[in-house]
Amino acid sequence: MLVSHKQAPSLKRQLWVAFLVVPPIAFMSLFVVYPILSAFAYAFYDWQGLARGEFVGLKNFREVLFGATMAPVVWNAFLHNVYALIALMVIQNGGGFVLAWLLYKEPFGFRFHRIAVFVPVVLSTIIVGFLWKLFLNPNFGIVNQALYALGLDSWAKPWLGDSSTALGALILANAWHFIGFPTLVYLAGMQRIPPEIIEAARLDGTNEWQLLKNIVWPLVAPSTTILFTLLFIGAFNWFEIPYVMVGLDGSPFGSTDVLGLVFYRTAFGNQSASIQNFGLGSALATLLFLFIVVFASMLTLWLRRREIQF
Amino acid sequence: MKLTRRILMAAAAGSFLFSGTAAMAQTELSFWSWRQEDKAFYQDMIKQFQEKNPGITVKFETFAPENYQTILSTALAAGRGPDVIQVRAYGNLETIATPGYLLPLDKQNVPELANFPESALAAETLRSDGKVYAVPFATQAQLVVYNKKIFQDAGLTPPKTWDELMKAAETLKAKNITPFANGTATAWQNETIVGGLLSSMLGKDFEADIVSGKANFTDPRFVNALAKLKDVSQYFSPNFTGVDYPSSQQLFAAGRAAMFAGGSYEIANFKKQNPSLDLGVFPAPVLKAGDQALVATYYDGGYAVNAKSDNKDAALKFVRFLATPEYGTAFTNTLKNLSPIKGIKIEDPITQEVAKLADNSMSYLMLVRFRYQEPSGSVLLQSNVQKMLAGQQTPEQAAAEINKGIATYYKPFQK
Amino acid sequence: MTALASDTRASRQPISFALLAQVILIANSFIMLYPVVVMVLSAFKTTGEIFDHPFALPDFTQVGNFTKVLGETEMPTYFMNSILVTGTSVILILVLGTMAGYAVARYESRTNTFILLFFLAGLMLPLKLAVIPLFILLRDLGLLDSRWSLIVTYTAIGLPSAVFIMAGFLRTLPLELEDAARIDGASEPRIMWSVMLPLARPPMAIAAIQNAVPIWNDFFFPLVFIQTDERKTLPQGLTTFMGEYTTDWGMLFAGLTIAAAPITLLYIVLSRQFIQGMTAGAVK
Repeated sequence: MLVSHKQAPSLKRQLWVAFLVVPPIAFMSLFVVYPILSAFAYAFYDWQGLARGEFVGLKNFREVLFGATMAPVVWNAFLHNVYALIALMVIQNGGGFVLAWLLYKEPFGFRFHRIAVFVPVVLSTIIVGFLWKLFLNPNFGIVNQALYALGLDSWAKPWLGDSSTALGALILANAWHFIGFPTLVYLAGMQRIPPEIIEAARLDGTNEWQLLKNIVWPLVAPSTTILFTLLFIGAFNWFEIPYVMVGLDGSPFGSTDVLGLVFYRTAFGNQSASIQNFGLGSALATLLFLFIVVFASMLTLWLRRREIQF
Repeated sequence: MKLTRRILMAAAAGSFLFSGTAAMAQTELSFWSWRQEDKAFYQDMIKQFQEKNPGITVKFETFAPENYQTILSTALAAGRGPDVIQVRAYGNLETIATPGYLLPLDKQNVPELANFPESALAAETLRSDGKVYAVPFATQAQLVVYNKKIFQDAGLTPPKTWDELMKAAETLKAKNITPFANGTATAWQNETIVGGLLSSMLGKDFEADIVSGKANFTDPRFVNALAKLKDVSQYFSPNFTGVDYPSSQQLFAAGRAAMFAGGSYEIANFKKQNPSLDLGVFPAPVLKAGDQALVATYYDGGYAVNAKSDNKDAALKFVRFLATPEYGTAFTNTLKNLSPIKGIKIEDPITQEVAKLADNSMSYLMLVRFRYQEPSGSVLLQSNVQKMLAGQQTPEQAAAEINKGIATYYKPFQK
Repeated sequence: MTALASDTRASRQPISFALLAQVILIANSFIMLYPVVVMVLSAFKTTGEIFDHPFALPDFTQVGNFTKVLGETEMPTYFMNSILVTGTSVILILVLGTMAGYAVARYESRTNTFILLFFLAGLMLPLKLAVIPLFILLRDLGLLDSRWSLIVTYTAIGLPSAVFIMAGFLRTLPLELEDAARIDGASEPRIMWSVMLPLARPPMAIAAIQNAVPIWNDFFFPLVFIQTDERKTLPQGLTTFMGEYTTDWGMLFAGLTIAAAPITLLYIVLSRQFIQGMTAGAVK
């Protein structure tokens, strides 16, 4: 009944909706869609440094995916993006959910904790990267200094120089930076749950775990949809933290290389490679774009369905 | 909206015209560089140039080195960019010279090119057309910088052979002094370390054989040198795999380490941070007494003219000024960096030493010969040496990986 | 029997749970804040003091690092630029994002899916890819080397996430709210402005902070678009600064502290309203 009422919009309402929708879309079209489409076109051309050469069809795409030089680098980096995604999903979003639940109960000092958890989020990524780089310095950084002070000398490591810990260190720095974001988004989601529902469940003798699993988690599904989609996109566009902390090469020996760094190196070069190739860079970016669009859409649709089901 | 914009534009144009006529046909040149730390020197030189050339003013602008190439390329691709450009050499030069962004230089438009040795001009020459595109500004050498006071206190003299080096390092370590400040966390540091420590063991013949295709990187000379490097890395700074470039500079400048394997360009920096340091340099140690001791040299870059500049004549005048022995002398003595211009007078004793060492040199191999294609020899050397020094592959494996990468495009290796 | 068992559990569990919660929350807050505290403390130390006594309290009268950062660098100018650029961009993002988000969330239309997909695409673009065409576009519009070049770019970049956050929230508001207003004869703009938007402050705060942070952070676009020193933003200035003083840790921490201070203080001031807005919870 409600729906049929809404399906007969007047001209006035149509104009109103157009007024709402047209300016944002026009803005996006001019400053994002148009430049991106031009950039996609670049992927089909050969490039001499920065000057566009002949049309070469799919050659750049083949090189990125299967070329002897580029493909191993790309797949190596892709794997690291996947690791980062999985790790951050657990640490950042999962941790955020747990923290939100603890804050939701408004224990002693929750106002302070709520402010504290969000402090790193407001810091600039450049600051966070530099800060942790200084802290993780093997000889003078506070991380190792603290371990020495506690007598845990054998735990001290050259964190960013050891290929077994470097990527993990970047992921933790990122989680430190951003965990407050999912925490506060989940908290907002939980606070929208009618308290009666939780009260009722409590009275039924539901234990903490069942309450979280069967009541809270499904009810914050809209928050989950947003957070997981944003994390997915963020993980595959990951650039600033690795750039600041381990440099363009994904040091040591590619163990922290991610697609964002590969793209930047390919398109803009670095001192040691000296090659700048907009064709390959655009091809990589186009593939990355398609990958993210397809998977993020699937993820969103799937998560959205959970929302509706409930 | 449109009207306001037009009025604003008219006002801007008006004020531009006004200032233009008032200053009597002043030509303003823009000059881009990544050498932020040399700003005072360049301002000073510009002042001298402007005094000699009234009617031309030069605006010097600097950008962060790691982003310089991006900014420059982007500006050039969009048809903008400065009139005079500080460019790098070799493969890096090719990316901006090949699309025609730079004005070719010759003895007609820049007679001062005669002031330079052939090898310096070769560094700024495009391989495809054989034309020179920039006036070179500095020769760099990879060698070992050492702290004279620490050496004296430990009763050491600069080592000549590899065994002497190992013994000296052991002596220092026994006295609780870090022998080498070096770390390998910053990828490109691995290449400078190889240049500074292994050049004499590789030798000029090895370079000639690589160029002619008689040898490749699986050659025993290369593999053995890498093995020696692995050996000496026990004397690098503690936790060296996690020590990045600034930290190792820090360690050496603070007088906490005895040696630093790296570029001659480090010296000025060390002195600036700690003027009380008494420094010396020595070439890579030789395998056995009697071998020729070498440093690895290359040319840093040059000054080029934007092919699309509206002020080419003024820009050429400025570039010619940057190619004179007077400029080279000032450059060398102020910045403690060796200018390749012939006939300069060097005041600083360490720079004199560097200049003398540079007479016996091989190329800084990967930069000079293998930075033109992907995967660049530099990237291969850096990551594979880094991996080897972290104990994750043997010297043989590192050499094989480097060779495999270069062989994908280097014909002589494909046999 | 069962009633008795569940009774004991119910009475015992909250105490142990509350204790565990406190431990986790305190540990977490410590991890979140301690690095920031060390950053500030280190800014009062010399490099030698940082290396030798990393955890000691500094002599707070020793402000040499701060005066040097403020006196010898362009930090104040960079600040003004960052504030101008970030502020203008966030306002534009909120206005445009709320418009689109509201339309998608509150009006049934066949084009909604298209619009959402359009913005979803915008959300996922690897932005560095567009830098060359964007550069040329901005040059043609005469915006290059001006703060507007950054503002339009950031607005375009931030808009999609704002649309999603606004739409995601507005969708959860009950239909009854607007239907009631509609029956009272309120016009569509009035329903949006007076009924719905007052309830939408929490997601606006999320959208604002979520966008302000990356805009405040960004150093890639200013680097390419801005050449004049007087128009550079803070992160761009900070990277240069960090490069110049790489080995002087006291200066590095002072620079980081000064760069972090305004947004952190602003956050602490605004967090009250932020939290108030969130706890006000419109939907009950």
